[in-house]
Amino acid sequence: MAATLNYDWNVTWMTANPDGMMERPVIGINGQWPLPVLNFTRGDRVIAKVHNGLGNESTSIHWHGFYQNGTNEMDGPPHVTQCDIPPGATMVYNFTVDQTGTYWYHSHSRGQYPEGLRQALVITDPENPYAGQYDEELVLTLSDWYHDQFRYLLEGFISVTNPTGAEPVPNSALMNDTQDLMIPVEQGKTYLLRLANVGAFASQYFWIEGHTLRIVEVDGVWTDAAETDMIYITSAQRYSVLVTMKNETSQNYAMVGSMDTELFDSLPPTLNYNVTGWLVYNDQAEKSAPAELSSFNPYDDFNLRPVDGMECLPDADYTVTLNMKMDNLGDGANYAFFNNRTYVMPKVPTLYSVLTTGSAATDPAIYGTDSLAYVLEKNDVVDIILNNGDDGKHPFHLHGRNFQLIYRSPENAGHFDASNPPPFATVPMRRDTVTLEPLGNFVLRFRADNPGVWLFHCHIEWHMDSGLVAAFIEAPLDIQRSITIPDDHLQVCSTGGFMTAGNAAGNTEDLYDLTGENRAPPPLPEGFTPGGIVALVFSCIAAVLGMIFIVWYGMAPITTQIPTRRFSDPPEEVGE
Amino acid sequence: MSSDVFAVPVFFICFRECIETSIIVAVLFSFLHQALGSDREAGIRKRLIRQVWFGIALGLFICLCIGGGMIGAFYSYGKDYFASAEFLWEGIFALVASVIITVMGAALLRVNKLQEKWRVKLERALTEKHWSGATFKDRCKRWLQQYFMFVVPFITVLREGIEAVVFIGGVSLSFPASAFPLPVITGLLAGALVGYIIYRGGNQTSLQIFLVISTCLLYLVAAGLCTRGVWYLENNTWNHLVGGETAEMGAGPGSYDIRQSVWHVNCCSPLKGGGGGWGIFNAILGWTNSATYGSVLSYNFYWLVVILWFVLMRYKENHGHFPLLGSSQNRPSNCDGPGPEIIECTGGMTISGENKAMNPMAPRLHTASV
Repeated sequence: MAATLNYDWNVTWMTANPDGMMERPVIGINGQWPLPVLNFTRGDRVIAKVHNGLGNESTSIHWHGFYQNGTNEMDGPPHVTQCDIPPGATMVYNFTVDQTGTYWYHSHSRGQYPEGLRQALVITDPENPYAGQYDEELVLTLSDWYHDQFRYLLEGFISVTNPTGAEPVPNSALMNDTQDLMIPVEQGKTYLLRLANVGAFASQYFWIEGHTLRIVEVDGVWTDAAETDMIYITSAQRYSVLVTMKNETSQNYAMVGSMDTELFDSLPPTLNYNVTGWLVYNDQAEKSAPAELSSFNPYDDFNLRPVDGMECLPDADYTVTLNMKMDNLGDGANYAFFNNRTYVMPKVPTLYSVLTTGSAATDPAIYGTDSLAYVLEKNDVVDIILNNGDDGKHPFHLHGRNFQLIYRSPENAGHFDASNPPPFATVPMRRDTVTLEPLGNFVLRFRADNPGVWLFHCHIEWHMDSGLVAAFIEAPLDIQRSITIPDDHLQVCSTGGFMTAGNAAGNTEDLYDLTGENRAPPPLPEGFTPGGIVALVFSCIAAVLGMIFIVWYGMAPITTQIPTRRFSDPPEEVGE
Repeated sequence: MSSDVFAVPVFFICFRECIETSIIVAVLFSFLHQALGSDREAGIRKRLIRQVWFGIALGLFICLCIGGGMIGAFYSYGKDYFASAEFLWEGIFALVASVIITVMGAALLRVNKLQEKWRVKLERALTEKHWSGATFKDRCKRWLQQYFMFVVPFITVLREGIEAVVFIGGVSLSFPASAFPLPVITGLLAGALVGYIIYRGGNQTSLQIFLVISTCLLYLVAAGLCTRGVWYLENNTWNHLVGGETAEMGAGPGSYDIRQSVWHVNCCSPLKGGGGGWGIFNAILGWTNSATYGSVLSYNFYWLVVILWFVLMRYKENHGHFPLLGSSQNRPSNCDGPGPEIIECTGGMTISGENKAMNPMAPRLHTASV
């Protein structure tokens, strides 16, 4: 029984103090923060009317993990599938829900969702394979939290004074946007705990003392139940776990989210990187602090097996190899790179370029020099090989689908050796956000059966904003046949003064003329520039000239005035 | 590497101070040989020469103690204190050292003037009347006169030695303790050698050439110190801006402020891994792999100032006053006597030989010393 869910949202600033340490501005919806957890059912139509009441910032809503099959324009990322919604403007997201599981929605505007515009979202599955095996569902979000506004932190992050690209360290961790969360539970019951990391940066280890977690879903994909004591959940990942309660009520049990401090450049001594909540069996009993762990041993999600048993897709028709690294550009700031390019948003949203460039839409060149556009052909099997040139972990997210993770190397494995590939998983785990190990690699596989422009990016917001993004333009000619941009979307563009047609630079005449496009800063000058050579030559000349004068003075006959009668000092005393 | 065992500025400081001392000592010795040259006076000459050596030895010993103590104290306490703001202090000390070397460097080119001045001083001292009073002051003066040949070298060595210690202290922060012994010893030896050459009245022209070359080197070092000082100060500011992380960047991007950069090469850093040959290049010529506007401008400006200064000094030597400052005070007609006699000598070290003729007061030494 499909329903139509109408939402009328006014997105505004308000203040909140979720960790009890600092009141700060947050972005709420209709005067509410934490934001409402949304509940959809497969087959529902969602019509969300989003009004930007922020006054000082543009906004957007991305429905994280949604396939948006046939509705690519509703996906959310500004300058990709829509224009940024300027203050005062309204945009309607209108799509049907054709999937199930745990998801979340968040702003996709630059550096905005960590201000609070993010929340979990659950899509009920009428054909739930675990129906009857649990009594109740609970939603639990984990998040890092900053006391300063992200947009100001971002200015300091992408800056000449942060040449190492050290990400600001969060000030605390949150569980359901609070701390010391109490969840009343009943003995003997089994709960489906839907976990979502809606944070900007930090991955979290999650465990419940005295209880075993049975993983049954990742990122909307039902999996065979896998038992573990602990999971590792990166920013943007979701897990559903079945937890069975004990048959006695003498004790309460701590559940802990612990931020992965290896991601942090420094560990401030005042930082509490854990957030604790309790399964409350007995309100009278003590809620004791969790025991400290000497090491973390989370479940490796690579070993999960989807319930549907979908086998590894056939060999790839098209392989995209992305080598990522962090480096500095000519403005001195640190940026993130795929294949030596750092992503810069085009002037015209890429989807709009697809729709207005006719047959040229199949040529990645028109989408801009620094747009990292890759054009995929309809129904091709595509491999993405990602080689991590950085010594940090990165959670990568692909819009518009889940993918098969067919191979993932351990740390420090270096580049993927395509000429001598390792065996791939036979029934690979599928999800939409996956961890890349430090200096390691992975291979993702999917079938390009969902025409649209889909971003592939690191879901650490810092890295997303410093350019760790690629855009897959999937079956552009099919997009042209199937998608029309709604008038209210175009209205948003005209309100914001954005171009809506032509190549990345907005040129509709010569699609290969990218004059005026948005570009990344120039590279750092290599070695001696002409100016540097002139300076060096001048310095050498100055030194030589100076020495010539010293020689001239030193070898000159010394003319001294010696008084014959008075033994006064000579008129000049040098160096005495 | 090499800059860890040989601190070039320290060498030059020792060299210069030692030259100064040895010139004075040389003047004294020449004096004694001229005034007490005959066999009849051999006994008293020997005694006075012993006095001179004793004065030198005592002065040297005292200032070595002071210097050793200062350097020891500095490295046991000061280094930790300064380490927190290392670049700031290195910058300040480099600039101070640059000024010190610059100001004292020119004197090397005019050591013969120094010699002249000292001879005059000596003569004056020896021709003063005898004090026969019984006041403390008079007794002191009498004692001073009696042990003149001890007091002068002692005071000279002490003064120059302490000067050297202070100057070395000024440039020392840039170097580890291991970089001191070698340049100190070689500097002293070289200075003594020059003093000896002056005493023996050796080849004056080649000595002058040697001094000119030394001075050129000295000023190259000072220019390098000047530019390094500015560079260190700028780097200190940069370190504060980025939160003290440039060390972890090595010589790569982020180790320098791109906004100030004139050139930057990722190789050839004088700071990384001891610097190697680039460290020497840096110590002597002020090389940096990461030049800034400040460091380049200060280098060029330094040379400009030096050139102007030398031109002015030469002008004053020729005209007796600086340009535009008038010349009335030094005009011969204004003097009491027949006026100053202009003499010219090419790097002339005029101790031996004609000295006797120029020194009518010398015989009095005999009476003064008994």
